[in-house]
Amino acid sequence: MKRLINITVNQKKYELAVESNMTLADMIREELKLTGTKKGCGLGECGACTVLLDGKSVSSCLVLAVEADNREVTTIEGIEPENGLHPIQQAFVEKGAIQCGFCTPGMVLSSKALLDENPQPDEQDIRRAISGNLCRCTGYQKIVEAVQSVSIRKQTA
Amino acid sequence: MLIPRFNYHKPSTLKEACEMKAEFKDKAIFLAGGTDVIVNLKRGVISPENLISLNGISEMTSNSIDNKKGQTAIGACSKVAGLVKEKFLLPYSALKTGMENIGSPIIRNLATLGGNIVTARPAADSSPSLIAYKATAVLNSVSGKREVSMDDFFLGPGKTVLNDDEILSAIILDTLASYTGSAYIKLGTRKALEISLVNVAAILTLEKPDGPIADVRIVMGAVGPVPLRAKTAEKILIGEKPEAGLFSKAAEAASLKDCSPIDDFRGSAEYRRDMVKVLTERALRNALNDIK
Repeated sequence: MKRLINITVNQKKYELAVESNMTLADMIREELKLTGTKKGCGLGECGACTVLLDGKSVSSCLVLAVEADNREVTTIEGIEPENGLHPIQQAFVEKGAIQCGFCTPGMVLSSKALLDENPQPDEQDIRRAISGNLCRCTGYQKIVEAVQSVSIRKQTA
Repeated sequence: MLIPRFNYHKPSTLKEACEMKAEFKDKAIFLAGGTDVIVNLKRGVISPENLISLNGISEMTSNSIDNKKGQTAIGACSKVAGLVKEKFLLPYSALKTGMENIGSPIIRNLATLGGNIVTARPAADSSPSLIAYKATAVLNSVSGKREVSMDDFFLGPGKTVLNDDEILSAIILDTLASYTGSAYIKLGTRKALEISLVNVAAILTLEKPDGPIADVRIVMGAVGPVPLRAKTAEKILIGEKPEAGLFSKAAEAASLKDCSPIDDFRGSAEYRRDMVKVLTERALRNALNDIK
């Protein structure tokens, strides 16, 4: 049975009728066509579907869309300013932290959740923050360097 | 991966949730963080007619400290990521470390302490500590509530004392005695998203700052159908002065007499038994260092 939910995605309000067995990841991709959120394992192990739910990074494949009623979601599309890229996205490009790109949206959002809470993380903090996000190109070092460069830029700004 | 259809219910009070469970019994399962339930739904392990979401019940996410009783009650649906940052959890080093070891940040932002317990996995990260702290589980149903010691909560892999019509609403921790320290060590092959090969929680209470040991509880995970107390080891320790030789002797006893590991794809029984010795010794040492 479909249920009506009110949800804010990337600061835009939606009223959607969703099946109660639909995941938030599917809702974002299929209903809202925001395909920046990737689906990998579907079991909460890879982190490709990471989104921010009320500011906290979560696996959207483990959340039912009906459970996101009256909540706020930020996907990778939502952090991009009108012109150019978000500083974390820019850093990923500059530091060569993107290879195939499949893990990138999740990596960027997990990094954003970290930096929002702790603007000056050390290397271990960063590695812990992205520990639920798998990069099968194994480009972790560059990703960590990219996040570090953002935090350094924040410090000097 | 598709999720089978179910009737979705979202009660807003604990009472309402109890009434629903009393009506549906085993035809309903509860949804808290979803990090286990959603995975099991997708894998086809479970296909309930009814899914009762507990995420609209504020009393299940509230934590309260009762100084008069010397107790802290943690709402069963409190998120793991939030709990590890709570000031009241600081003295409970073993539980804090255990919860920090659950899944990954994106899992901990969803997962609840209650969920980690009711799934009754023998390798769960919070259960050994809760048993070690003599924590109490509060179970509610339409006919009232009862309290069960965590010592008696687990019956086997995936099995607990929870009846069909009951709901775990809170976990109660007693205030720790003076000169008490605790520690938890998890052994796995990686640092995140890992299921324990072996884990050990230890809590140590001294009579006065330099000993002797007044009380000790050692609980081992993933070496039996439920988390196991190392009772032989505990007996060796009580009344003695805490020092390295004694810890080593107790750890040896835990390894030889108190655990019953099996071979599986994660590791052999023999290896697990060896690791119980190593981890117990370290957990005791860390618990001693944790005494402030």
